[in-house]
Amino acid sequence: MQFVQVRSRAEALAALAEWGDDAQVLAGGTDIMLQCRRGQVAPGRLLHIEPLDELRRVEPAQPGARTSIGSLATHRQLSTHDSLRTCQPALAAASGMVGGWQTQSVGTLGGNIANASPAADCVAPLLVAEAQVTLASHDGERHMDLRDFMVGRRQTALQPHELITAIDMEPLPAGVGESYVKVGRRGAMDVAIVGIAARIGIDEGTVSLARVAMCSMGPVPLRVPGAEAALLESTLQAEDLDAAAEALVAAADPIDDARASARYRIRIVRGLLERAVDQCRMAS
Amino acid sequence: MEVEVTVRCTVNGAARELEVNPSAPLLNTLREDLYLTGTKVGCEEGECGACTVLIDGQPVDSCIYPTGAVEGREVRTVEGLSGPDAPLGLLQQAFLDNGAVQCGFCTPGLLMTLTALLEVDPQPAPDVIRRALDGNICRCTGYQQVIEAVVAAAGSAR
Repeated sequence: MQFVQVRSRAEALAALAEWGDDAQVLAGGTDIMLQCRRGQVAPGRLLHIEPLDELRRVEPAQPGARTSIGSLATHRQLSTHDSLRTCQPALAAASGMVGGWQTQSVGTLGGNIANASPAADCVAPLLVAEAQVTLASHDGERHMDLRDFMVGRRQTALQPHELITAIDMEPLPAGVGESYVKVGRRGAMDVAIVGIAARIGIDEGTVSLARVAMCSMGPVPLRVPGAEAALLESTLQAEDLDAAAEALVAAADPIDDARASARYRIRIVRGLLERAVDQCRMAS
Repeated sequence: MEVEVTVRCTVNGAARELEVNPSAPLLNTLREDLYLTGTKVGCEEGECGACTVLIDGQPVDSCIYPTGAVEGREVRTVEGLSGPDAPLGLLQQAFLDNGAVQCGFCTPGLLMTLTALLEVDPQPAPDVIRRALDGNICRCTGYQQVIEAVVAAAGSAR
């Protein structure tokens, strides 16, 4: 395994064009180094892109504009970014829940997406913000909705010669609340047993905007239109939350693993959804 | 075949040129090439924080961080907290005074994470200290004495 460090975006794209599948892109390494150690991946080359400061920028939304985040922005950078905490609060919160400080120091937003874990904390908030990814290659750039990019468990639409360079998100409209909540064995820092992101707008007591996404409830984190329909135009009574939770469970395909049983995951969805909605309500 | 290359970095203030396999975890390089064995081998999966070192001031699990990635950067380990003039740093002394060291295995990692915290927040509140320690596991102290030690160190530094 050869370790190759690149110092510019152009150098990275040229290397990917030449080596394709034989190169594994490496940023903070919190997933890849672990997978190498466990023998789950054995690339010919590790392409270390962490020094590319040009991919680290965070551009919080100007009024009416989308938030743009470079793929190498670290979780620590996002969770402590004052204006991001205001304009994209669910993503900032989720970034602060990806492992401990050590993981957040080097773990990146692009890595969290590329790794395509069913439990990726940042993905649920990105889905409720209708995020798009920018994929660059030596041929140019293409943009794709994140929900189409996530193909399956540990599978994405990324081509071997492509690099995720940026993620952009719809701004949070005024008066709309947003949250990300999760249950993990070691509190917030552990891999999510279940995570839920919500964006809820309330107009004179009635829900005018409802977006809900969940992770760790199937092979990919996903939006659940049935749950959103159950909340939209409701007054968030207990039976509305019951109906939304039922839709989440119907859309889920949870597994039994070392962290929790599928039964337990299903059991906690209703309570976690209520927490997510309450946080939105307080913030809206 | 693993090819050795030269990685230039600063370790505890001293410039180093390391002839290493750049894919090797920094933890192994520190312990086996530089004999800095204060950094402990714990879970080797980035879960327990026993191997925490500071890279450009940020705590990182050195067990899953490649050595090649520290090229041109500054690494600090627990050995860097003390010097010839002061056998123990302020925080280290506070750990001893407050019973924050029991078996001691997690201690170097705790000290490094907390050193990073005190550099950005010299007077951290107890809940901030607890949050900062999310990635460090201690199975002896229950953390309370650790938190008291940080509060004491922050107070005496004032």
